[in-house]
Amino acid sequence: MAENRTVGRVFGCIGILIIAAAFGICSGTQWISPVKLAADISADGLSPDERIVLYIRLPRVLAAALAGAALAVSGAVIQSVLGNPLAAPNIIGVNAGAGLFTVLCMALFPTAVKMLPAAAFLGALFAVMTVYGIAKKTGASRMTIVLTGIGVSSLLNAFIDTVTTVFPDSLSGISSFKAGSFAGVTVGKLFPAWIFIVVGIGAALMLSHDLDVLALGENTAASLGMNVGAVRFGCLAAAAVLAGAAVSFSGLIGFVGLVVPHISRKIAGSSENTAVLPVCTVLGAAFLIICDTLARTLFSPYELPPGLVVSYIGVPFFLWLLIRKKGASHNA
Amino acid sequence: MLEMKNVSGGYGKRMVVSEINALFPKGEITSVIGANGCGKSTLLMLAAGLISCETGTVIADGEDISKLSRNGLARRISYLPQMKNPGSISVRSLVSHGRFPYLGYPRRYTEIDRQKIDEAMALAGVSELSDRNFGELSGGQQQRVRIAMTLAQDTGIILLDEPLTYLDIRHKLETAELISKLREMGKTIVAVMHDLDIAFAFSDKIAVMDGGRLTAFGVPDEIAESGAVEAALGVRALYSGEFGRYFFVK
Repeated sequence: MAENRTVGRVFGCIGILIIAAAFGICSGTQWISPVKLAADISADGLSPDERIVLYIRLPRVLAAALAGAALAVSGAVIQSVLGNPLAAPNIIGVNAGAGLFTVLCMALFPTAVKMLPAAAFLGALFAVMTVYGIAKKTGASRMTIVLTGIGVSSLLNAFIDTVTTVFPDSLSGISSFKAGSFAGVTVGKLFPAWIFIVVGIGAALMLSHDLDVLALGENTAASLGMNVGAVRFGCLAAAAVLAGAAVSFSGLIGFVGLVVPHISRKIAGSSENTAVLPVCTVLGAAFLIICDTLARTLFSPYELPPGLVVSYIGVPFFLWLLIRKKGASHNA
Repeated sequence: MLEMKNVSGGYGKRMVVSEINALFPKGEITSVIGANGCGKSTLLMLAAGLISCETGTVIADGEDISKLSRNGLARRISYLPQMKNPGSISVRSLVSHGRFPYLGYPRRYTEIDRQKIDEAMALAGVSELSDRNFGELSGGQQQRVRIAMTLAQDTGIILLDEPLTYLDIRHKLETAELISKLREMGKTIVAVMHDLDIAFAFSDKIAVMDGGRLTAFGVPDEIAESGAVEAALGVRALYSGEFGRYFFVK
């Protein structure tokens, strides 16, 4: 209900996003000053710097922003639907499902590049529904969901390794796929994944009020007139679209979907999805831009996989949040 | 008014309650009592339409609930289970969720919704908690907020599953008082109760369940004298003239 506060915080995060994007565009193997860049843009023709920005850095920043927003919102939705703060797309096998279908598609239909997001979505949906179905049948306790997810995730990763071993030729870039990478991404490669992501985030935002009611418990939601099965399916499908689309062009970047939703809840000051999801969208994008920029500049000319930087920054911050919360509740 | 006619049902193939016939009158509180596992909560879920009856019908204000739409049902019957922890949410947001059956897309609250939410919060005595985080409230305050949410739902029939459980004694009595106020508004109230002392003191009717069946249904005095409580729960009712109410002993 605190809508004004939410709007304020979303704008704060948008500020962070703009700074992160500018930082991502200007830094690289060689620093391009924004002042010079602005002068180049107003002049005729494409300067070398402009070319670097337009064809290399901008697509990367866009790719990181799209993947970050998608994974963060996907994680927040999955955590809310399953009522489990540990459920994130990479932990419960959603990313692995998307990854498996992506490598299968790459191996069996090497020319059907435009089909990758759809294949990844099917894989993500398959994984999330399997986990949900098994957990539901066995009582759906918090522990069961995570254990089921970890099991499904390992099995799918085993399949991924099998496929990559059997089709070594069509999957030459597989190690960067498995660690997650934005190297060599072009604006063309982001199509049609960006459409999936825009639609997925739109659907998640439209379902956010219903998701909040669902979080009160299945019986409460049903007694308030909700078609619980349909809403839950819609939310998980949106989460699968997002995770699938992100995986299809960035590979298996973990941890964004776990850590960003938790940070967003702290920033939003609430666990209500109507407030959390907008924050999550913007913060996820900013977070992954920062991680990817650091990944390609820290040890330049060597590039770290952005997933590593996500862990380096995300994990300590996450642990700090947890410890601080514990301390606060003891002091209270 | 809520009526159950020859209702049997349970979960999947497992029948938990059978052949329930009961009429819960408007403006009265009926407490459903019985040992753990006797089917009290299942009876409530059948009455709420959350699980469908294997046989029989549930009639809410003259209409068979199986013929109503989801929203139609949610505008007639509210149901308050023992809610799971809703996370970090403000009191006003939680109460507002009671308006869910009235919201069209895109889930915006109208002036009428806001008015109903304000009224519900005032009635439950939680208006001043509006901006507080639900999780930081005491058990008694949380229960009043949850009742405010069912009031915002604005239904004639309110079903409460163990509304007093986990509360300390003062909050139990305060919550019972709040529930009594709803009766004066002409609501039909059915509550699953564990505290027999309070149930007998504040209810208009008592329904005794034993082994999935309704073994007695009537006014508290009549039930206390009938021996049905002893059969179902193994305790006897003693009337204290000094306090004007029943106490239960082994």
